[in-house]
This record gives sequence, structure tokens and C-alpha cells, in this order.
Amino acid sequence: MSPDTIIATDRLNLWYGDTRALVDVSMEIPDRKVTALIGPSGCGKSTLIRCFNRMNDILPGCRIEGKVMYHGENIYDNGSDPVSLRRRIGMVFQKPNPFPKSIYENVAYGPRVHGIRDRRTLDSIVEESLRRAALWDEVRDRLSRSALSLSGGQQQRLCIARTLAVEPEVILMDEPCSALDPIATAKVEGLIDELKKQYCVIIVTHNMQQAARVSDYTGFMYLGRLIEFGGTTQIFESPRDELTENYITGRFG
Amino acid sequence: MKDKFHDELARMRAGVLGMGFFAEQMLSDAMRALQENDTGLAREVKERKVRLSGQNDTLEEDAYRLIALYQPVARDMREIACALKIISSAERIGRYGKDTAGVVLSLGETRPDDLVNALSLPHMAKLVLSMIDDALHAYETGDLGLIAHHHGRDDVVDKLRHTIFREGITYMMEDPRTITRCTNYLMVARYLERCADHSCKIAEKVHYLVTGERIEIR
Repeated sequence: MSPDTIIATDRLNLWYGDTRALVDVSMEIPDRKVTALIGPSGCGKSTLIRCFNRMNDILPGCRIEGKVMYHGENIYDNGSDPVSLRRRIGMVFQKPNPFPKSIYENVAYGPRVHGIRDRRTLDSIVEESLRRAALWDEVRDRLSRSALSLSGGQQQRLCIARTLAVEPEVILMDEPCSALDPIATAKVEGLIDELKKQYCVIIVTHNMQQAARVSDYTGFMYLGRLIEFGGTTQIFESPRDELTENYITGRFG
Repeated sequence: MKDKFHDELARMRAGVLGMGFFAEQMLSDAMRALQENDTGLAREVKERKVRLSGQNDTLEEDAYRLIALYQPVARDMREIACALKIISSAERIGRYGKDTAGVVLSLGETRPDDLVNALSLPHMAKLVLSMIDDALHAYETGDLGLIAHHHGRDDVVDKLRHTIFREGITYMMEDPRTITRCTNYLMVARYLERCADHSCKIAEKVHYLVTGERIEIR
């Protein structure tokens, strides 16, 4: 395993009841890089990303085999705590889902849950997180207003700030821009580029141009299998697998 | 949407191929005009330059439009990148044909043509034209076998040009009245050598198109 690897899967298989959604997925995801997962609907990319912070555990009938190693430990071992795992591996979803609370409270929520009570500490966490999410300048004078008063793009960046507030190492993004307009999308993409200086970012996207723009590595999935994984430039310039080639050039999918 | 795109891509490729063969024909006809001292043919070759430029402009515009509209990746992207490179090589080849036709016209109808053959220019042209032809057919079919020996073939052409240069000098020393003709023929040898280089450029792009791997044929 490369020393830069932060998450590695080893023959990961997942079933929803009788349906096998992941088939022998083995991959290594490098730290402080952006890794994109692409593939047609139902290929298993969202399922895979949700394995990284054990979001599939709660689904009835879901069974997982194989390993997901995070810092060298299998997160599916007995004794591994999903709650502390999810603090270190945060997630941003397709539709912005701020809490129906103030902007401030949305960001302060996580740190509070983890036991931080001191107002000044919280203030600085909120400011720092909003800055890192490139939202501070837009909301600094209205932190007490409802998060729901923000635009869709701002709400998504707020959700990113909320994720950053608990100081994760890895940020999972499941189609983070699919509900956003092109300008908001460009902002989130610019943000992703900034975030990779400090975090490992894994993004699932249907938008191949987006994967090409924002990521350093790209994995192409099809029917639950990881067909090809490599540097984004290589994948988009000269993919090795014909399936990848056909998918990204729009010949199927 | 994508099918429309791939139809357009196929049309562009056919256009590039057509332009390539058009340029090859210009060079081939110019060499025939030189050998047979056919000023009528030379004049006609010169006139084809307008059509060559038109093809170049149209194909270049097509390529930019396809990039802007479809943001192609992988083989589609390579297809367009190669098309842009191939048309610029093809345009150069066609222009060298035009320049050779210019030599025929500037030397006039009454020149003795023995030196053209003595200097092995027709032989050199045959080698170069076959390199261009193979590169274009490789582009058409994806058969890399056709361009597998371009490096060695280009070496032969380079050496031939050098030999022609030396021979030309001896002819000029022997009889100064041949100087005007000989310097023009040496220029033609230079054009042919450049055309062989362009066939190598085309071959490199075909290799990249087919395999995704960049190589240098030198």
C-alpha cells in the first residue's frame, strides 16, 4: 500500500438483500487529493462512497464483505465506532440539507455534539469553517438568520462548512453540485480545489466534465465493479479499458 | 446528442483524410510536372492551393466547434487533436507541392530536364509519397503496421537529400550553366525531405490516436 493512501478497500462486496451492489472492489485512495467516482446510474458509486463512513449499516438487508481500511484499520471490525468514524469522515449530500436553524447553529452543531461549549471557541470554529467553505464573506453579518434563507449554492457551502467544523480528515461528496446552477457549481468546484490542500476529498458525480475538472484521480465503476482507476488525465485522455472509453465518450450509459 | 456528435466526428475525419490525399496529389502532380516539364500541370497545381487553404480553414473551424459544443474526452478528444495536427501537416505538404510547381514555372518550358533524373529526384519523390500515403491510410484504417517503419524510411530520405545535395554541387562545379537549375532542384529535394518529416508527424498523431501514447519519430 502506498504511504499516501488514507482509505483502501480490499475485495469489498456489498449486497442489498439478494442484489449484489459491489463486486470485489479493491482500491487505494490517496490523502490530500481529490478522487472522483464516475459511472452510470446504479453502478455502485454512491454505495461505495457510503461504505467509507458506514452509512450503509443502517439499511435493512445490507450485508458487507471484505475490508475498508482507514489508517490501516478495518472500519468494519467489531469495536470500530461509526460515530467517531463519521466525525473523521464527513459527508456532503446531493441536495443541500441544512438544519432549520440559524447559519451559526448549523456550523456549531457538530462541535457542540462533540462537547465544545465555550462560546469563543465555537465562534472561532464557525468563522474558520465558513471561511474554509468560502462562505464567510457572504454571511458574516447575518449569522443568526435562518440557514434556509440562503440560496441553494450557499446552503451547499454551509453544509460543507458544517462538515469542516468537526475537523474531519476525509470529505465524501455525493453529487454535491447536481442541484446547483453553473455559478454555484463553479464556486463549489473552486472550493474543492482549496479543500484538497488539507483534506482527502472523494466525490461521486454524474457530470464527467466536473470529474475531469476537479479530481486528481478517477475511478470508473460499472455494474458494481471498479473497472478502471487511475490519474484523471490518463482516464480522460487515454483510458486503458474499452468500457471506460465507451462510457466517457458517451457511447453508452 | 452523442450520436450526432459521433456523426460529425466521422464527417470531420473523412474531411481530414480527403484533404490529406488532396495535398499528396498536389505534391505528386508537381513532381510529375517537374519531371515531364509540364508547365500546364504545374500551373494547375498552383491553383489548387486555394482549395487546400479552404479545406484547412473549414476543418479547423469544425474542430473548434466540436470542442466548444461537446467537450470531447478520450478517443474523441484525441480524434480532434489529431485532426488539427494532421491538417496542418497536410497543408504544408500541399504547399510544398505548390512551391515545386513554382520551380517548374520559373525554370520555363525550354529547360533540359536530364538533371532531374540524374539527381534521383523522382526516386526520392516516390519514397516520400509512399510515406505520406501509408500515414494517411494508417489514419483511415488504424493499421499501425503501415507506419511501423517510418523512422527508418525517414532516415533513408534524409540521406538521399544529402547525397543529392553533394551531387548537385559537383554538377554545378562541372558546368556553371546548371547553377540556376541545380539550386532549384536542391530546393525541391529539401521540400521532399520536409514532406517526409510531415508524414512522420502524421504517423505520430495516428499512433497517439490509436494507442493514446505519444511517440516521436526521429
